[in-house]
Amino acid sequence: DSHIQYERVGADVTMKCGSMDWDAAVTWTANGTDIDESHLNGSYLILKNVDLSQSGQYSCYEGSSWHLKYQTYLRVGTPPKEPVLMCRSNNYPKGFYCSWHLPTPTYIPNSFNISVIHGTKDMVCEKDAIPKNRCHIRYLQLFSTVKYKVTLTVTNALGKNFTTLTFDEFAIVKPDPPESVVAKPVPNNPRRLEVSWQNPSSWPDPESFPLKFFLRYRPLILDQWQHVELSDGTSHTITDAYAGKEYIIQVAAKDNDIGTWSDWSVAVHATPWTEEPKHLTTEAQITETTSASTSSFMAPPTTKICDKGAVVGSGAMAVCWTAGLVVAAYSVLFI
Amino acid sequence: GDSWGIFTFLCAALCNLPALPALNCSEELGAGQSIQQTYDLTRYLEHQLRTLAGTYLNYLGPPFNEPDFNPPRLARAERVPSATVDLDLWRGLTDNARLAANYRAYSRLLCYLRVLDGQVGTAELRHRLAHFCASLQGLVLSIGGVMSSLGYPLPAGPAGPPAPPGAPVAPNDFLKKMDDFWLLKELQTWLWRSAKDFNRLKKKVPPAVVTLRLEARGF
Repeated sequence: DSHIQYERVGADVTMKCGSMDWDAAVTWTANGTDIDESHLNGSYLILKNVDLSQSGQYSCYEGSSWHLKYQTYLRVGTPPKEPVLMCRSNNYPKGFYCSWHLPTPTYIPNSFNISVIHGTKDMVCEKDAIPKNRCHIRYLQLFSTVKYKVTLTVTNALGKNFTTLTFDEFAIVKPDPPESVVAKPVPNNPRRLEVSWQNPSSWPDPESFPLKFFLRYRPLILDQWQHVELSDGTSHTITDAYAGKEYIIQVAAKDNDIGTWSDWSVAVHATPWTEEPKHLTTEAQITETTSASTSSFMAPPTTKICDKGAVVGSGAMAVCWTAGLVVAAYSVLFI
Repeated sequence: GDSWGIFTFLCAALCNLPALPALNCSEELGAGQSIQQTYDLTRYLEHQLRTLAGTYLNYLGPPFNEPDFNPPRLARAERVPSATVDLDLWRGLTDNARLAANYRAYSRLLCYLRVLDGQVGTAELRHRLAHFCASLQGLVLSIGGVMSSLGYPLPAGPAGPPAPPGAPVAPNDFLKKMDDFWLLKELQTWLWRSAKDFNRLKKKVPPAVVTLRLEARGF
């Protein structure tokens, strides 16, 4: 006959050859390989201080006839440590889910049992197919003053352990990060970036349960983030970007009133619009090839409109700024 | 001393008053803006309550001020209006029902809080409670204002005597503290719920609605 045997790491294991007498002549194999007689005490196999590598199939054969008398599968493992449990509502007000894992592996099969108590009522947490260590619960009532108590018990052949979480309905609300974050430069605006995103698809009712957002951005070359909090809308224009620098941008979401901020979204990269420099090369070629009196201090022909927002320094820009100031002065006079 | 007595009397008087003529302001501004103001008030009160509850629970002492404290709900606690509601039912509430539920709840919670105010030990707590009561009264009036500007009647008799006749006074000190604990908890939950109630109302009642109603009344 054959069966499975579970033993703790570091234990001493004695295997008997089925119903054979102690003084019978037997041969033991481990995964098909003969085991040296030094490990035998009569017909018993002695394994001291077992480790994980000693897991495997052990077989016992009668000495002369080579009949298989006994077979067992040895699995070396550990009893479970206290499991790690987390519960979260990313789909408020529909319900919440709990997920769990063991801090260290046991190397043998474990079974999990989860119980949810709300006041005096037992609730059923439906296990998800994928991922395995997760279950979800639908709220029957909203705005409850009574806490939820979730207990997770882990059991395996070598022992059991458990952990408990107690929380209020509002405390575990944490949306998923915003989705489809897109950042684009704005044509003719060297200091702007247009960022847009969408509500996380897991949030079921943004109409009645609106989300607010937190945007953070910085140029790749700096460590310090800038932050903007937005109470509605799913887009924002950054107006103080450093010209020509690549930016990294992320967004997070939170229910307007309760719970905590989501994790940061996937980061997007964008660089503000910059003017094409090809006219400068043309200028240089002209001044080199001709000794013409065409002034190289005049504004390049491609710059037709003065961009007030430009930061990039250039001699031509000084002309633009002055023109801009004159226009501004006139408009102030006329208001 | 005397000033507290007068203040309590005034609070009690206000308790039984229907919404004041300050409504004219809300009608001019439009129901949409009043709803926004009421929403803002609930957020402000929620913030205030956090400090007040912390102080009060410490005053009650353990186990009430322990974060894990999770007592079973006793039958006597049912006097305090509960914010808990079935999800579909909550979604399906008419604007009138939604507002009325809030109005009734805060009117009663206010009265219970005032009873508390009269019994509390330290001066700091009395001061905080009085301030909170005043703000809560403002919320009740604000909700009343929204209801009137939308043409809804105010719920009748929003505030009876603090304890309905025949209801037992807490037989011992511990149960009295339990009552206080649940009162604060229900208040907190109602403020969370109201934020969601007023979010829904915000979306459903644009200012244009009030203009139509004013025209209908021949303004």
